[in-house]
Amino acid sequence: MMDISLCLKRPSRMGDSKRMRMTSNFQWLLLTVLLLYLMNQVNSQKKRTPRDLKCITNNLQVWDCSWRAPSGAGHGAAYEVCFENGSHSCYRLEKNIKLPALLPGDHEITINPLHDFGNFISKFTLNEKNVSLIPDAPEILDLSADFSTSTLHLKWNDKGSVFPHHSNVIWEIKVLRKKNMEIVKLVTHNTTLNGRDTVHHWSWISDMPLECATHYVGIRCYIDDPQFSGRKEWSDWSPLKNISWSPDSQTKVFPQDRVLLVGSDITVCCVTQEKVLSAQIGSTYCPLIHLDGKNVAIKIRNISASESSGTNVVFSVEDNMFGTVIFAGYPPDIPQKLNCETYDLKEIICTWNPGRPTFLVGPRNTSYTLFESFSGKYVRFKRVELPTNESYQLFFQMLPNQEIYNFTLNARNPLGQSESTLLVNITEKVHPHIPTSVKVKDISSTAVTLSWHLPGSFAKIKLLCQIEINKTNSIHELRNVTMRGIENSSYLAALDKLNPYTIYTFRIRCCTDPFWKWSKWSNEKQYLTTEAIPSKGPDTWREWSSDGKNLIIYWKPLPINEANGKILSYNVSCSSDEETQSLSEIPDPQHKAEIQLDKNDYIISVVAKNSVGSSPPSKIASMEIPNDDLKIEQAVRMGNGILLTWNYDPNVTCDYVIKWCNSSRSEPCLMDWKKVPSNSTETIIESDQFRPGVRYNFFVYGCRNQGYQLLRSIIGYVEELAPVVAPNFTVEDTSADSILVKWEEIPVEELRGFLRGYLFYFEKGERDTSKMRVLESGRSDIKVKNITDISQKTLRIADLQGKTSYHLVLRAYTDGGMGPEKSMFVVTKENSVGLIIAILIPVAVAVIVGVVTSILCYRKREWEVIRLWKSLQGWKDRAVLVELACLGRGRSLPRSSGRRSCCSRPDVPKELDPWFQAPPSLQPYIQREEGALPPGCQGGLWLAWPVSRVHRWSSRVAQQKFYSRATSTSTT
Amino acid sequence: FLLPAPLCLLTLLLPPLGLGVLISPAEPISQAYSLALYMQKNTSTLLQTYLQCQGSPFSDPGFSAPELQLSSLPPAAVSFKTWHALNDRERLSCAQGAFLALTQHLQLVGDDQSDLNPGSPILLAQLGAARLRAQGLLGNMAAIMTALGLPIPPEEDTLGLVPFGASAFERKCRGYVVTREYGHWTDRAVRDLALLKAKYPG
Repeated sequence: MMDISLCLKRPSRMGDSKRMRMTSNFQWLLLTVLLLYLMNQVNSQKKRTPRDLKCITNNLQVWDCSWRAPSGAGHGAAYEVCFENGSHSCYRLEKNIKLPALLPGDHEITINPLHDFGNFISKFTLNEKNVSLIPDAPEILDLSADFSTSTLHLKWNDKGSVFPHHSNVIWEIKVLRKKNMEIVKLVTHNTTLNGRDTVHHWSWISDMPLECATHYVGIRCYIDDPQFSGRKEWSDWSPLKNISWSPDSQTKVFPQDRVLLVGSDITVCCVTQEKVLSAQIGSTYCPLIHLDGKNVAIKIRNISASESSGTNVVFSVEDNMFGTVIFAGYPPDIPQKLNCETYDLKEIICTWNPGRPTFLVGPRNTSYTLFESFSGKYVRFKRVELPTNESYQLFFQMLPNQEIYNFTLNARNPLGQSESTLLVNITEKVHPHIPTSVKVKDISSTAVTLSWHLPGSFAKIKLLCQIEINKTNSIHELRNVTMRGIENSSYLAALDKLNPYTIYTFRIRCCTDPFWKWSKWSNEKQYLTTEAIPSKGPDTWREWSSDGKNLIIYWKPLPINEANGKILSYNVSCSSDEETQSLSEIPDPQHKAEIQLDKNDYIISVVAKNSVGSSPPSKIASMEIPNDDLKIEQAVRMGNGILLTWNYDPNVTCDYVIKWCNSSRSEPCLMDWKKVPSNSTETIIESDQFRPGVRYNFFVYGCRNQGYQLLRSIIGYVEELAPVVAPNFTVEDTSADSILVKWEEIPVEELRGFLRGYLFYFEKGERDTSKMRVLESGRSDIKVKNITDISQKTLRIADLQGKTSYHLVLRAYTDGGMGPEKSMFVVTKENSVGLIIAILIPVAVAVIVGVVTSILCYRKREWEVIRLWKSLQGWKDRAVLVELACLGRGRSLPRSSGRRSCCSRPDVPKELDPWFQAPPSLQPYIQREEGALPPGCQGGLWLAWPVSRVHRWSSRVAQQKFYSRATSTSTT
Repeated sequence: FLLPAPLCLLTLLLPPLGLGVLISPAEPISQAYSLALYMQKNTSTLLQTYLQCQGSPFSDPGFSAPELQLSSLPPAAVSFKTWHALNDRERLSCAQGAFLALTQHLQLVGDDQSDLNPGSPILLAQLGAARLRAQGLLGNMAAIMTALGLPIPPEEDTLGLVPFGASAFERKCRGYVVTREYGHWTDRAVRDLALLKAKYPG
C-alpha cells in the first residue's frame, strides 16, 4: 500500500481536554471515549480524501494511475494532481491521470480534491515498483484451418512498436473444442518484442480431424521486461475465434486416406445427421465418443501395420455404412548395401536393399532418387508394383572424364525420408559383362589362339582374363592372361602346351585391375586340336602258332594321348641279320598279324601310322630265351587281382611282360599281356575277363635286348570254387574183408580250384534201404578217410565183414569247397575159414565137458559122502556127518569165511556162477536148516542139500549159463 | 454345344457380322447364352477374390452391403413382372446398357486396385478377364440385335468425371458394387438369353 499522510489544517483541541481533572476511573472512561471520538474523526477525515492510488501500464511508457474518490465526491469531481518528475507539474483532471513513465525511485504525488467541504490533500509516494504491467489483450489477426492435415494456423500481432525496448513475451494459447468448450490444448509460446509490430504464427495439429467439431482459439500474453521492476501480469484473453466445417447433407468420415506411422494414435469421426450404431476398425468394434449433434468419433490407439489395401474404419448407421481407409506403415528404412558398379564404364548400376518393409504400396510406396553431387545430376527410381525385399537398381549414365562419383540415394514416402551415400571411384568398381563370341583358331597341334568379345570402354584400364581349359577325364586347368583394355573390341590370347588331337573345352572370364569382380564365365567352346605323329610304338607281343611254323604278332591300340590322332594303319616288319621283310599295311581295327618264320632269330617291329606320320617302332625278338629251371607255381587272387612277384634280375634291361591265358584253351595261349618296368618286382594282374573257378596260366617274362625269357610260370584262380563233379571211381578188387577202390582225376575245368584232397566214406548198407541217406560225418557207423595226398589214386579198405553189403562214397574238395559225392554198393565175399571154425568149436566144447564130467565122477570120496548122506535118517546125524567131513579134510570150519571155505571152486565170475546164488525157491530151506546147524558150519550148507533137488537145479542153471554165454558171444 | 471354355470365348469374341446381312438370331443367341453361362461360373470367384483383397470388414465371412449402390451403374434387380413384360428390344437394351457400364466400371476398378492392391496379380487378372468377357457379351448382344433388326443403342460414357477424386474407401465400395452387380447382371443376362433362346429356336 502506498504511504498516506494526512495534514489537518485545523488547530487541535488537545489543550482543553488536558485541563479536565476527574477521579481516576472516570478519567479513564472519559479518555477512552475521547480516543474513540478522535479515531472516528480521523477516519471521517480519511474518507473525505482521495485514497488507494493504483498505477498500471500496458506499454511501459504511460502509467495510468487511478484512485478511489473521497466519499461525498460526486461524479465529475475534479482534482488537482501534482507530482515531481524533474519539475513540478500539476494537472487538473476528473478521474485518473496518465503519467509518462517516471524514472526509477520514489516520486511524491499529491492529489487535491477540488471541492468545498474540507481541505484534505492526499499525498502518495509513487515508485515503478508499485506499478503493474498488464498488456492489452492480444488480438487474433487470423485463424485458419487446413482440414486435410487437421492443422490450425493462428496469426496475431505482438504490437511491439508500442513498447520502448526489447522484452520477452510469453503467449498463452488455448484451444477449445465442441460447443461446450472443452479445453483440448493450452500452450505457451515465447517471442521477443523488437520495437516493431510483428505478426506471429502458431500452428497446431489436432488429434481429432477439424471437421469433427468446432474448435475455438484464444490467446493472452505476459511481457517479461527485465528492466521493469513493477509487477507483471497476464493480459486478458483475446476474444475467441473458431473454426468449424460446414457439412453438407451427406455423411462423411474424417480423415480420409490418412497415412500413419505404425503404433501411433488417431481419432476418426463421422459427421452425420443419422444415428451411428457402431464403429469398427478392421473387424474390431470401438466405443463411440459423442460429439456435437449426432457426430461421433472413435479413438484408435497403437495402430498396427496395414495390409496392402489399408485398414478400413467403418461407421454403420441404420441402413448404410460409411468409412475411411488408414494406411499404417513405416517411413523408408535407410537404403542398405548401396553398391554402385559398372559393367562397361559407360553406365553405372547402383543396387540397394530397401531394408525394413514400409507396408505402404501403390502411390504411398517409397520413391528413390539417386543424386550425384559432383555433376548435380540425378535419376529417379520408378515405382515397383510388387514390393519385395530383393535388390532395387538404378542406372546412371557415366559422365566423360569423371571417375569419382558421390552418390546420395534418397528414399521418401509419406511418412518420411532417409538416405544413404556412397563415394566411389568407378574405375575400381568394374564388373565386366560376360565375354561373348568365343572363337578358337589353330596355331599347331599343341597351340591355339582364343578370341572373345568384351563390350565396354576399357581403353584406360588393364584387364585380367582367366581361361579355363578342360580336357575329358582330366582336372581343369586355369591360365591367366593380362591385357590392355580396348574400346568395345575383341581380345586375343594364345594357348600353348596343349595335347594333339584332344578335345578341349575353353571358357573365359575377365576382371579389371584393380580387382573388383569376375565376370560370369563365358559359354563353353569345344575344340579338337590337330593331329601329331604317334609318340610311341604300340605295345607288342608275339606267340608261335600251335604247329610252330607261324609267328603271330599281337599289339595293343595306342592310348589316345600317345596316338596323337586317329591311327589309320600299322606296319609290321621282321628283320634278321640278312634281310628285312615287311608285311602289307594292316588297317587299324586289326591288331594282329601272322608271319611264317623259321626258328631263327628275327626282330619284329610294329609301327602305328596316323594322318601325320608313323610312330617309333616297337621291337620284339621272335624267339624266346630258353630257361630250364622252371617250376609251376600256384597263385590265388588277393584283393583286387592276382599278385605276382619275382626277384629282381639285373639282366632284365627292357621290361617285364606278364602274359596270361585260360589254361584249358588251345595254343597259342594268350588272353592278354601286361608290361611292367624293369625296376619292378611285383605287379597285380586285373582283368574283367577273369572268371571264378577258371584256371589261368600266368607267365612272367624278362626282357633282354628285345628278347624275352620265361622266368616264372604260375597257375592261378581269381576265386576257387568247389568241384562240379565227383571223381569217377571203380572197385578193383573185393575179398571177404577188404575192398580196393581206384579213381580217376577230375578234369581241370570241372575241378574249379586247386585240388586239396578226397574224402572217402563207407558203411554197411544195401541199395534201396533206409541207409541210402546223406553221409553225415558225425555218425559213428560211418567210417571216413581223408586222403590229402592228391597223387593217390587207390585205396584199400580192410577189416570188413564177409558177405556184407557196403556203401562207398567218394568226393573231392578244393579251397572253394566240397565237390559232389559219388557212391557205390559193394558186397564182400564169403569167409570159408570162419565156417570151419564155427563147426569145430562146438565139438571141442562137447569133448571138454565129457572129460570134466569124468574127472568129477572119478573123485570117489565125494560120491561116498553123498551116498552116506542119503542113508542118514535125521538132521542131527547129517550135521555130525558134515562136521566129520570137514574134519576129515583136515581143516577147521571157519566161522565167517563164506560159502567157499570148505570146498574151493574154480574162479569164475561171480555173476556168471549160479552155484553161488541160491534160487529164491530154495530160500525157505536154507533158513530152516541154518537154524538147525551149529553156528560156524554155515559155509558147508550147500552140501547138506537133497541131491535130487541139487541135480534138478544145477541142470537148469547150466542151461541158463549156456544160453547166456551164447548170447554174449553173439553180441560181441 | 460342348466347346471347351477358352475356345468358346475366343469364338464369341469375334466381331459381330456386318449390318445388312440377315441371319438367323438363333446362332448369336446361342453363342451369347454360352458365354453368359461361362461368365456366370466365374462371377462369385471374382467377388470373393475382390472382397478378400479389401481387408476386414469386406473380407469377413458373409459380408454383404446391399445398400451400397452406384448411381452410374444401373441395378440388375427388377421385379419379375416388369422383367417378364419387357419386349426383346427393351430386354436387350437394358442388358446392353448395363454391360457397357460394367465394362467401363471394371476398367475403373482395375485401375483402383492397381493402386490399392498392386501385389495381387490374381485379382487384377480376374478383373481384366471379367472386363473382356463383358465386352464379348456386348458384341454378342449387338449381333443378336442386328439379327433381330433392332437398332443398337449408341455407346455412352457412363462414368463421366465423377470418380477420380474418390477416397480409398469409396474405391473399395465402388469395386464391391461393380463386382457384385457384374454377377447380378450376368445372372440376369443368362435368364434374358434363355428366354430369347426359347423364343428363337434354331
